Amino acid sequence: MSRNNIWVHVTIALALILIAAFVGGVRKWSRVHHSLQVTLQPGPKPADQKSEASEPDDSDKAEVLVRFRTGTTRETIDRLAAQFNDEVEDRIESVEGLDVIEDEDGKSADDVVAQYRALAEVEYAEANSKIALDHEDAGRKHVHADDEMFSRQWGLSNNGENGGRAGADISAMRAWAVTTGSEQIVVAVIDSGVDYGHPDLIRNIWTRPEIIKAYHDDDLTSDEGIDDVHGFNVVDDDGDPMDRNGHGTHCAGIIGAEGGNGIGIAGVNWNVKIMPLRFMDDDGAGTTKDAIEAINYVIDRKRAGVNVRIISASWGSNTRSRALEDVIRKAYAEGILFVAAAGNDGSDNDQKPHYPSSYNLGNIISVAALNRNDQLTSFSNYGAKSVNVAAPGEEILSTWLEHGFTEKKGTSMATPFVAGVAALMLSQNPKMSVDDLRARLLQSVDPVASLKGRVSSGGRINAAKAVGAD
Amino acid sequence: MGQIEPQAIAEALVHARTDLAHRLGVNEPDITEGSVEPAEFANAALGAPVADEMSAQVITPGWRIYLRAKGKTYEYRATARQLRLFNFNGENYRI
Repeated sequence: MSRNNIWVHVTIALALILIAAFVGGVRKWSRVHHSLQVTLQPGPKPADQKSEASEPDDSDKAEVLVRFRTGTTRETIDRLAAQFNDEVEDRIESVEGLDVIEDEDGKSADDVVAQYRALAEVEYAEANSKIALDHEDAGRKHVHADDEMFSRQWGLSNNGENGGRAGADISAMRAWAVTTGSEQIVVAVIDSGVDYGHPDLIRNIWTRPEIIKAYHDDDLTSDEGIDDVHGFNVVDDDGDPMDRNGHGTHCAGIIGAEGGNGIGIAGVNWNVKIMPLRFMDDDGAGTTKDAIEAINYVIDRKRAGVNVRIISASWGSNTRSRALEDVIRKAYAEGILFVAAAGNDGSDNDQKPHYPSSYNLGNIISVAALNRNDQLTSFSNYGAKSVNVAAPGEEILSTWLEHGFTEKKGTSMATPFVAGVAALMLSQNPKMSVDDLRARLLQSVDPVASLKGRVSSGGRINAAKAVGAD
Repeated sequence: MGQIEPQAIAEALVHARTDLAHRLGVNEPDITEGSVEPAEFANAALGAPVADEMSAQVITPGWRIYLRAKGKTYEYRATARQLRLFNFNGENYRI
């Protein structure tokens, strides 16, 4: 080889090295970028969905959070984990008996959870959901929900399907890049009760902590009080707020169906605590007195130490009650936001008020309903002064009785969207006053042409703006 | 529009006819059926709330049942679960 040829080869070799370095850099950048594209899901895909050729790395392994009952020894925990071919990856010292367990034999997170839930030693087990950014759009971050029917939830994310208008939604995916909610925030759903055993709600249902005494009302209850484990049933005066109408379950799902669990739908909040109250009967009707009793219960629980900050009230009538107004005023004094349906008569509440949404109180937000085209629905009440904001309220998919899901329409459905966004805001800023919460929520709307002169804010709620994502 | 089983409509008709006969003090054969029409009501009280009643603000599919007696038409509102008399002498009734 001549000296000239050597230099030619050296030059080619250097060029190849530089190209390889560049390609490697691109791949590395691509990996970093791709790490922002993982959707929230309860652990990795089931083993039978994996490519046989691919070798699972640690990030593919299912992780679950398991809390063992008091008195379960470390030896027992280790033995149980080994029995399932799992490893105790970490202990959460601040919570007695809580361990992070990693699967070592390719099971899905759901299967691992099921294994542990079947054990007598286990208080609870839940998948360690992975939260990551789904993608960025024009510099704005989104989080996608992997829930089975999420694509039908136009109110959360409207892509223009079924004749809708793309973007006519509450911008939930951008909000979720900031917060998916908090189990520290309790939302009271005063309604026909809630199916607290629904699989898409069960983990987001409020349970009275042991340190909070059972509810006691001299006029209603025995000396022992009501065992309000999950809430209160005013109709039957007991501690079982099970829903037999479906309306309350539907509203609860909009606020807080568990998100990112692969089933059903996503709520505005993936994590929240729903406090179910039943004051309407199986036909969806109740009395003013029972509504007052329900609000009184919420105030009592707040005073007892429960962090209940929002009441969602998808009901009403045209009859004014000063007593109802007074108890909502009391809730205001306790820092509780009261989100209320504007009504479905297609009429102007400024002319013909609808209660409780039309009471002039600082903690009330009155909600109108929009369709998937950002138009005020034909049935929705409105009012330039007395109705404050609008939210999706037609073709709304949510949880229903018998562990099902169904679509409903009404300002009933728009109301929990607003209550849900308020809960998201509080998850970020738990100490926000009710005045600030209401003001910020109303200031963060998207102006909508059909709402000009129809609602006081002139717009549709925007969860992303409300939590500062935009 | 939600569906109500024909059986439920038939039962609502019988129930409504009996109720109206009782209210008007007439025999049931004196009541004639006007029409039965599907409807969407503004709320769970079928747009016919009784005094002091709150109801879920959800659009509720059901039926309007028109009955005639003594030269007047009376409107009942029904779902598979409930029956109401609308605006009878200025009042609504949950049957």
